[in-house]
Amino acid sequence: MKAFEYATALSTDSARQLVADHGAYLAGGNDLLGLLKEYLVSANTLVNIKSLPGLNQIEPGSKNWTIGALVTVAQIENSAEIKKVFPGLHEAASEVASQQIRNVATVGGNLSQHSRCWYFRHRDTICLKKGGDLCYARNGENRYHSLFAGNDCISPVVSNLATAFTALDATAVVLRDGKETRMSMAELYQKAWKETAAHNSLNPGDLILKIEIPTARSRSAYLQASDKHAFDWALVSCAAAAEVADGKLKSPRVALGCISPVPHQVQAANDFLDGKTLDDATVSKAADMILAGATPMEHNGYKVPLAHALIRRTLLKLKG
Amino acid sequence: MPSWPTNTKYISQSTPRVDAAAKVTGRARYSSDIQADGWLYGMILRSKWPAAKISGINLDKALQVPGIKAAITVRDGERTVRFCGEELAAVAGTTKQACLDALRAIEVKAQPLPFVVREDDAKKDNAPKVWEGAANASPGKSREQGTVDQAFAECAAVIEGFYTTPVQIHNPMEPHGNTVSWADDGLTAWSSTQGISSVRDGLAGALKLEHSQVRVITDFMGGGFGAKFGAGVEGVLAARLSRKAKAPVRLMLTRFDQALAVGNRPSSFQKIKIGALADGTLHAFEMNNYGTAGIGAGGDSGGGGGGADIPAPYIYKVPNTRVKQTHVAVNAGSARAFRAPGNPPASYGMESAMDDLAVKLGMDPLELRLKNDPNEIRQREYKTGAEKFGWKQKYQKPGSSPGIVKTGIGCAGAAWPAGGASKNTQGEAQINPDGSIEFRLGVQDLGTGTKTVIAVVAAEMLGLKPEQITVKVGDTNFPPGPGSGGSMTCASISPTVFDICTKALQQLQTQTGIADARGENWFAACKKLGVNPLVVHGQWLQGLSSDHACGVQFAEVTVDTETGLVTVKKVVAVHDCGLIVDKLTTESQVNGGIIMGLGYALYEERVMDDLSGVVLNPNFETYKLPGLADVPEIEIVLINMPERGVIGIGEPATVATAGAIANAVANAIGVRVSSLPITPAKVLAALGKVPPSTASKS
Repeated sequence: MKAFEYATALSTDSARQLVADHGAYLAGGNDLLGLLKEYLVSANTLVNIKSLPGLNQIEPGSKNWTIGALVTVAQIENSAEIKKVFPGLHEAASEVASQQIRNVATVGGNLSQHSRCWYFRHRDTICLKKGGDLCYARNGENRYHSLFAGNDCISPVVSNLATAFTALDATAVVLRDGKETRMSMAELYQKAWKETAAHNSLNPGDLILKIEIPTARSRSAYLQASDKHAFDWALVSCAAAAEVADGKLKSPRVALGCISPVPHQVQAANDFLDGKTLDDATVSKAADMILAGATPMEHNGYKVPLAHALIRRTLLKLKG
Repeated sequence: MPSWPTNTKYISQSTPRVDAAAKVTGRARYSSDIQADGWLYGMILRSKWPAAKISGINLDKALQVPGIKAAITVRDGERTVRFCGEELAAVAGTTKQACLDALRAIEVKAQPLPFVVREDDAKKDNAPKVWEGAANASPGKSREQGTVDQAFAECAAVIEGFYTTPVQIHNPMEPHGNTVSWADDGLTAWSSTQGISSVRDGLAGALKLEHSQVRVITDFMGGGFGAKFGAGVEGVLAARLSRKAKAPVRLMLTRFDQALAVGNRPSSFQKIKIGALADGTLHAFEMNNYGTAGIGAGGDSGGGGGGADIPAPYIYKVPNTRVKQTHVAVNAGSARAFRAPGNPPASYGMESAMDDLAVKLGMDPLELRLKNDPNEIRQREYKTGAEKFGWKQKYQKPGSSPGIVKTGIGCAGAAWPAGGASKNTQGEAQINPDGSIEFRLGVQDLGTGTKTVIAVVAAEMLGLKPEQITVKVGDTNFPPGPGSGGSMTCASISPTVFDICTKALQQLQTQTGIADARGENWFAACKKLGVNPLVVHGQWLQGLSSDHACGVQFAEVTVDTETGLVTVKKVVAVHDCGLIVDKLTTESQVNGGIIMGLGYALYEERVMDDLSGVVLNPNFETYKLPGLADVPEIEIVLINMPERGVIGIGEPATVATAGAIANAVANAIGVRVSSLPITPAKVLAALGKVPPSTASKS
């Protein structure tokens, strides 16, 4: 990696100042160090934000829970309260990488992590996302890539937490230009839908401060399918959340990861599910709606039946 | 004729490895732990082109990087590189970062050439040639016996299948590499190697030194599966860097390097047609197979790469047989021996075909094997294993398991026809007047338990405890031992230690007058030696070892027919290896073989990109290896056969696993996934659930 300066910020304002135009925030470092070592990003300053006050707390609330951006994935996994109130989030956290990685990985880092596309990550290929003129995956080995894409790059979002937060209708609070900006999960990623180089909507210097999760949906669930049984990326991930009263869904939301550059959600399917009772036919119809328009590539068509199964299973888990 | 003792205290019992404590506490020093005075890091610049003419390499800027003490090219003058990852240059410096910076500062003038990385593409007439003047595909070797076409017409059931296996990458936990220290009187290399003698000869040859000027040391080693025999390009570069920098150089490869240039198991594309008579007797067999060994052995096999052949029809005898095999060169790193070369793909293909044939015949696949397997030991192992596994109770017709998550079982057989022993194995023991005893053998312990085997045999023979035996291996200054390959180490060293001990006892009797120096007399006898220790040489003896280990494995799996996920629930492995020396380390070999076979069955695969020519998964993130959560319950049944002498187990243990798992998957879902690894994507495709591609390309 290239040489860099290192600084520890004690306030968000100083963090923003220190990171300036060409720095990077360092929390768990799982993704950043890999990117630096492979020369995929360069940063003249690494600003350690682990000492920023107040960002490593899980704070319950009656309408919203707040999860600080520096909360580790392991903290979520180990929180009995989260497990009770947001089981889908708990399940998503438990599936992240390995125990060692979860111990240091932060919520903010998990959400802002870069593409895992093996062309993007390979030091000897200059793909579209790296400023090249071609998406190798489109014509090549695209087994791990998107079924939906808004631009020529087909690298999907792989954050487990983003999938769960989307279903829970969480909001990211982002420090931007000295102000706190609130972004839905859709907004947090929408730039990746449009722009090949983007993997989220954060501008240089933007810092995720916390996530707010409404308590409106007391049931939630998350499932992922991988090649292996542990310590593996999801091939497809799925989260669902809703309130359930008299066996009927209220304000249901379903989201999928790893099949689109953004957490995939279909409003029509959420609307369809609203007020419905969970049964095989209903969840299957919802899955059809969510996957309508999927465009399988040469090697990722299997994600269609896989996603279909996960949607059905995740929704049925909401029955409790 | 010598014979092994009966009523043993240690042989065939379980002794924990003698270096276990050193390993788990970190006291064990591996090649990458050696910190010779003033040592430097070494690193290699590799070709990023899958094929290119290299017209110049300028090292000037690399040498200006602070901390860099030496920079060299692999070869002077113009050259052609033939795969992405081929070594171009190397640097040595005081820090890792200095080396990384230096590699990026090296200027390479290259003219990219057309390349081909897929077997099917390489076979085409108009494909770019990997080697000038030779076709990518070798003309092929054919053999035929009987009257194959007529025999197929006589069969009651015939099936055809196309079974494929990927290139598997060598990824021992300890990567390849050396720490090399050059001095005026020669060099010392701490090598991660399966053959200290071959590394010594390789380094001496490359650097024009006498063999006696090179000493190779392998105190501890983190695994080797067939690709760590020679000095390797990296070893020679480390030695040259050390000579140039006048300092020791540690050059250990990274996982990225491992994926490209240290060898691999060739792929196979097996088109198999097999037929049986109505009673299940195999009657006709035909196989067309091709595979790639990467750039392989170049033009010397009449085109193509070398060494992608597999034994067929593997462990079975079919009276009417036609086999044709071809090697196809591609622009990728070459193959090297890989744990039971040829056997795991052969077993997977043939055992898959056997199960598909059993379905066609309406026979229980185990019955079909018992009907046709000509080997009496395996017959016995199948019966023992079936009983342990509960085959009869568990067997259901293919696809008949109810529900979404289906259960299936399968079995497969293994052979290891190579093996045996290295007859030139020697060793010595120094017996001191205080009764301490040190064995010195120029063999190396890959992590298999070689030191423990030496201690166990010596303790048994001398009436001592294993912990009373000091064992030193892995040094070319010791009497020469075998390279550790072909599952030959145990069968080479055990008789050698036997001989040393026999001679030691004779010598003690002669020198001390004590008729039997074993056990309780040991210390009294040693004391009578006086001042000088007794040094006894021994060598391998005929009659205490043999070859041809067998084995069978049974697997039980569940397959989620909606997600495609295969979960191996249980493996029962029945293996023989003659006289079992140490039961515990033998079981470890079988455990390791099964886990490696599980990786081959379900996860491992080198993925090449045909547009860029790179290996897309040069890391453990996407080159997937089994983790603990993937490993099933493993039950091992060892058949102890002292009358056969010592036989190695390392290789046969990994042969049958993939075939057994693949058959269990087919039994569960009722259709065959005829391509390894059996990923969720392939399971869903086999079940007919995957829609066709509708996306536009670029």
